[in-house]
Amino acid sequence: MRLSRVCSLAVLAAVAVASAQEPYPSRPITMVAPFPPGGIADLTARPVAAAMEKVLKNPVGVLNKTGAAGAVGMQFVATSKPDGYTLLLALSSISIIPEADKLFGRPPAFTVDQFAPIALISADPTILVVPADKPWKTAAEFVEDAKRRPGQISYSSSGVYGTLHMAMELLSHAAGIKLRHVPYAGGGPALTAVLGGHVDALASGPAVVLPHIKAGKLRALAGWGDKRVVALPEVPTFKELGFPDAEFYIWAGVFAPKGTPEPVLAKLRDALRAAVNDPDFKGAMEKIETPIVFKQGAEFARFFEADAGRLAEGVRKVGRIETK
Amino acid sequence: MDDTLQNLALGFSIALSPAILWYAFVGCVVGTLVGVLPGVGPLAGISLLLPATFGLDATRAIVMLAGIYYGAMYGGSTTSILMRIPGEAASVMTCIDGYAMARKGRAGAALAIAAVGSYVAGTVSVVALMLLAPPLASFALRFGPPEYFALLLLGLFVLAYMSSGSMLKALAMAALGLLLGMIGIDQMTGYFRFAYGVVELGDGIGVVPVAVGLFGLAEILATAGLAVPPQVIKPTLRELLPTRQEWRESAAPIGRGTVLGFLIGIVPGSAHIISSFVSYAVERKLAKRPQEFGQGAVAGVAGPESANNAATSGAFVPMLALGVPSGPIPAVMLAAMMVHGVSPGPLLIKQQPELFWGFIASMYVGNVVLLILNLPLVGVFVNLLRVPYAILYPSVLAFCILGVYAVNGSVVDVWIMLLMGGLGYFLRKLDFETAPIVLGVVLAPMLEMALRQSLAMSDGQYSIFVARPISATLLGVGLILIALGLQPLVTRGLDWRARLALAEKGDEHP
Repeated sequence: MRLSRVCSLAVLAAVAVASAQEPYPSRPITMVAPFPPGGIADLTARPVAAAMEKVLKNPVGVLNKTGAAGAVGMQFVATSKPDGYTLLLALSSISIIPEADKLFGRPPAFTVDQFAPIALISADPTILVVPADKPWKTAAEFVEDAKRRPGQISYSSSGVYGTLHMAMELLSHAAGIKLRHVPYAGGGPALTAVLGGHVDALASGPAVVLPHIKAGKLRALAGWGDKRVVALPEVPTFKELGFPDAEFYIWAGVFAPKGTPEPVLAKLRDALRAAVNDPDFKGAMEKIETPIVFKQGAEFARFFEADAGRLAEGVRKVGRIETK
Repeated sequence: MDDTLQNLALGFSIALSPAILWYAFVGCVVGTLVGVLPGVGPLAGISLLLPATFGLDATRAIVMLAGIYYGAMYGGSTTSILMRIPGEAASVMTCIDGYAMARKGRAGAALAIAAVGSYVAGTVSVVALMLLAPPLASFALRFGPPEYFALLLLGLFVLAYMSSGSMLKALAMAALGLLLGMIGIDQMTGYFRFAYGVVELGDGIGVVPVAVGLFGLAEILATAGLAVPPQVIKPTLRELLPTRQEWRESAAPIGRGTVLGFLIGIVPGSAHIISSFVSYAVERKLAKRPQEFGQGAVAGVAGPESANNAATSGAFVPMLALGVPSGPIPAVMLAAMMVHGVSPGPLLIKQQPELFWGFIASMYVGNVVLLILNLPLVGVFVNLLRVPYAILYPSVLAFCILGVYAVNGSVVDVWIMLLMGGLGYFLRKLDFETAPIVLGVVLAPMLEMALRQSLAMSDGQYSIFVARPISATLLGVGLILIALGLQPLVTRGLDWRARLALAEKGDEHP
């Protein structure tokens, strides 16, 4: 039994060596960003690709394959050849889309297990903001008021089952409150809605709302991270406030199609570790005010699984939305 | 006021520095090309070129991207006028009368008027942007979903004035457009509607493949179907310039288009497209001889082209004054600012005066550059018409396919365009106008989203539309429009539309 396993491993290794006649990488690599240029996926993918190029000594191009909230690009990578030449830069939504497909009983565009996680690049906790002229000064007041008036306090989101929607849903469940959801087509319009006072609250990445907090238009109440946001040291986390289940990050990670050979994955992990320490990359992430959080291998797999579990639970709890 | 002048002087000192001037020029040239290429509009152009600006400093990058944006608005009219192919979606209305003018040998005049109209609109609206940005921006913020819904509804009423033929046919086409607009993910619940397992259809039917198919491809097919090939137009130098009469007829439409475009541009959404539709409808309503619309009315070119250019400046108002995007294009430009470490927000004008005033000044400069660039090009572009159809149309077809593919890198889009081309051909044979389809495709998703967001805000109470002053006012204006539209029914008079239909019956179908 043990011998046969060793044998099969040896055979596999031989095959791998044989097929890997040409050392990886020997031609340009494509990194698919499933969102349009200018979005957080794109803005992360480009400096990552540039830094990887220096390590791998091969061009790494970013391809914006957009559509259907990222499903088009993710499906494209899920079904490409697992040779390490097509990579995916995905955001948290990678674990939401298949779950939503399941909810509606439609054939999934892709499933999470079609990907091999390589490394986490960044993770940004969302923060809860309200227009400055609203009465709530603290998250506790907000939650209390929401309990008193279930379904009366409204919030905007980047879209139904989108990341900003999920963050609010996780909070609602952790705090046992019911809020009124008004979805918008993207994070920009959702921010405009809260600035215009058309909704009462928004969960958002810190970088986007920071200028508006500084200008006194919005007030930050609490964050979804396990630590406070560096730029907003006075804003507590929901964890501190006693809602440990309200944990949510907008993260970006690099994936390869499942079945990519282990030596190639190892090489990519090394390249990414070097890339995140590249000064140019650090500078680029600083400018878009996104904290670098690097996790790889088993550590990333654990983070990914825990996050996917929370989000799947979130999607199931929201359930299908029936409108009146 | 003194402050403004001082700041503007600072802005010009930046905008006229050789480096900034160069990037404004490059942006304008690229934008013109992007506009001329069928399908590739300003959004695609800016998105594709955004990564190339990452190496520049913030002011240069923004100046160049803005140049691409308004350059594309200038360039979009060229193929619309010469070949009835909308270079970008906002040029759909220009196709109708611009192309009709070209068939009458007035292509040069149409191009020149489009360029001058764009210049006037561009320059005047920059002045407005400079003086009024902060107060207008806070007004724009008051446009929530209910106000937006009322505005879009008003846009739909405008449809009624758009076609020259039968009202019934126009409404049927608008309904078809609205139905096509229903395809895609339901934004409120996440259901896929009419996607049949094609993931790409989740985003719905894009306006670019529809516009290029219905106008461009249909025209190519219709020409190919003629027994005798149409005569190649040989423009002479004298015909390049608009006549005094044509200038006179376009002056007022340019002015109205500018004001309309700027105001509509401030409102979040795909404003530049809508502004051109609204301007066309307004011009026709005000025209002394509305029957000329569709047959080459100068006002039908001057109004919409000015409107879509003014709308680009309007779109910058919320972006610069508040740091919020008013549409997909300003959203990409905001991202470009963030990449360069500039936090867009309400404090931008105070914290980054060089960027803001340099940007404003560069828009003045850019508009001059575009005028200088485009007027001489009129002579070059018009000569395209000398190319025999056997060569011209196949290459145009190839460009259409390339352009539409380039926008999203999606073959599904190409198929949509081809199907729409076939559909457009048959609709033309049956005397249906296709512009209302495009407007329907543009409006349907926005209208539905705004309606359902409003109801989500109010927990299902329709009273939200009359309880808020702006939306109540807009709906009131809409009601008045309907009342005016019904007036002929009451007074039993024939309106110009019916008279025209009668006349056409007599003339064209003996």
